[in-house]
Amino acid sequence: MARIIGPEAISCSLFRRNPVQLYLPIAEIPVNIFVIFGMGGAVGFLSGLFGIGGGFLLTPLLIFSGIPPAVSVATVTTQVVASSASAVVSYWRRKAIDLKLATVLLAGGVLGSLIGVILFQVLESVGQLDVVISLSYVTFLGAIGGLMLFESVRAIRRRKLGTAPKARKPGQHNWIHGLPLKMRFRRSKLYVSVIPVVGLGAIIGFLGTILGIGGGFMMVPALIYLLRVPTGIVIGTSLFQILFTMAAATIFHAMGTKTVDIVLAITLMVGGVIGAQFGARMGQNLRGDQLRLLLALLVLGVGMRFAVDLLLVPDDLYSIAIRKGAGA
Amino acid sequence: MTRLVLILCLLLTSAAAGAAGAQERNRTLVTALSSDMVSIQSNFTGTDIAIFGQASDIQRQPNAPGGYDLVIVVEGPPQDITTRRKGRFLGVWVNREAERFQDVPSFYAVASTGPIGDLADRSLLDELGIGLNHINLAVSGSSNVALADRDDFRKAFVRLRQEMGLYSEKTSSIEFLTETMFRTTIPLPANIPVGTYKVKSSLFHQGELLSQTQQSLAVAKIGFEQITFELAQDFPLFYGLLAVSLAIFTGWLAGVIFKKD
Repeated sequence: MARIIGPEAISCSLFRRNPVQLYLPIAEIPVNIFVIFGMGGAVGFLSGLFGIGGGFLLTPLLIFSGIPPAVSVATVTTQVVASSASAVVSYWRRKAIDLKLATVLLAGGVLGSLIGVILFQVLESVGQLDVVISLSYVTFLGAIGGLMLFESVRAIRRRKLGTAPKARKPGQHNWIHGLPLKMRFRRSKLYVSVIPVVGLGAIIGFLGTILGIGGGFMMVPALIYLLRVPTGIVIGTSLFQILFTMAAATIFHAMGTKTVDIVLAITLMVGGVIGAQFGARMGQNLRGDQLRLLLALLVLGVGMRFAVDLLLVPDDLYSIAIRKGAGA
Repeated sequence: MTRLVLILCLLLTSAAAGAAGAQERNRTLVTALSSDMVSIQSNFTGTDIAIFGQASDIQRQPNAPGGYDLVIVVEGPPQDITTRRKGRFLGVWVNREAERFQDVPSFYAVASTGPIGDLADRSLLDELGIGLNHINLAVSGSSNVALADRDDFRKAFVRLRQEMGLYSEKTSSIEFLTETMFRTTIPLPANIPVGTYKVKSSLFHQGELLSQTQQSLAVAKIGFEQITFELAQDFPLFYGLLAVSLAIFTGWLAGVIFKKD
């Protein structure tokens, strides 16, 4: 009996009588609050499942659903602050953060973010912002997704064959360790030049600001493979740096592009943090290499979607942008 | 009910106008708006604005040559808008040519009793800016659009604005309630820009402009929407810090609530 007049019927009639539209004060369009909340929740679920920020999924979703790209990118930087803040709290408690390394990365991150916001405004004014966002997504998601796919397939094969991966030799060095301006990071047991650290932070901060992503999926492998940061500290440190770089990006966007929509951000955040909890619980039941394979396919899928849009003949060759006056 | 009151008001004002003397031709047309303020709040999904009026001393003969024609134009505050056209570049579709239209209306809706072309001469319509084919779409001096393509850009611009619901032209959408009293509704979509709108009503007789009235309509965000928007525009640093604090608080709260059981 309860099933017949269950939640489905109720929500359906509620919807028809009063479609829950929410007017976004900065984007200046009404959106369906449940759709936005659901998007935040779904991306939050995936980010909890894979242990990623999810910006690279959320920004495209918002763009594809009709929110202006500038608003999508700027608002997702705010949402990434919220999602990384809740994770940073737990890594902080476990003391799994190298504060010194994170601070140096952050210095680079803030610089990269500032350059990003300036370039963002220039691209917007010459009408090439959308194509740069799309091309960057295709490039980075294609490259990272491809690498992840390759690596996870190899790991799964290796597990099936039962061969152990080659252990890394201690004290192995690459070209990065030959650079000057060395600094000691005790927590990570590292003695490296600050140049690659600041540079890495700047690149991630720059891309994050332009693309509306946290960049954890690029930061984590870079810290592990390029700087040889111990895996136990990598995620906490990366999240800490992302939290503050994205906080800076939010402020730069608020002051520069003025496209941070606080109402949209809050709706996404609440959906996101709830979804992340369910995702994290489910993620514990899946194998690491399987998770990485799924994530790789997801990353590649989003990249392909952008590539298709760039290559196919657009539905409409013309587009308009308000430059001055009401609503500019 | 409000409509009835409005009609009564109109009758009274037009009667008063008639008493004041028929020497002024302007008095032959009287109009009023159902509301002179549209407020945008969190539940705003667009609205309709009704325009009532009376054209006194006319013998209305629908569709008859030599009859009277009425047209109402609702025009939003001016904007500069760039129209771009995509082209293939190295196999990828990117924006190539761009044309900037200056001081064009952000919103433009026409309602009339008959086809716009039949109202008056082209030149008069151009001068008054009545009809989608007659709006003044001035372009900026610098443009990389070939002269032959200019008209395509103009058409694409009007079409895109129409698709967004911001430009419209509805002929025969003015409804006559009596011989001389009329009414029309203009839909204002959810994405209308804020500002002061002009509502211009014109009465034509055999291609000649008899009289015109103009009212203003304010479209404004109010309450929370207004505060948020003004904060973002006028105090961007504070707004950014507020967004960050809210995000950190939400994240921290979630971390506390969902602490591992």
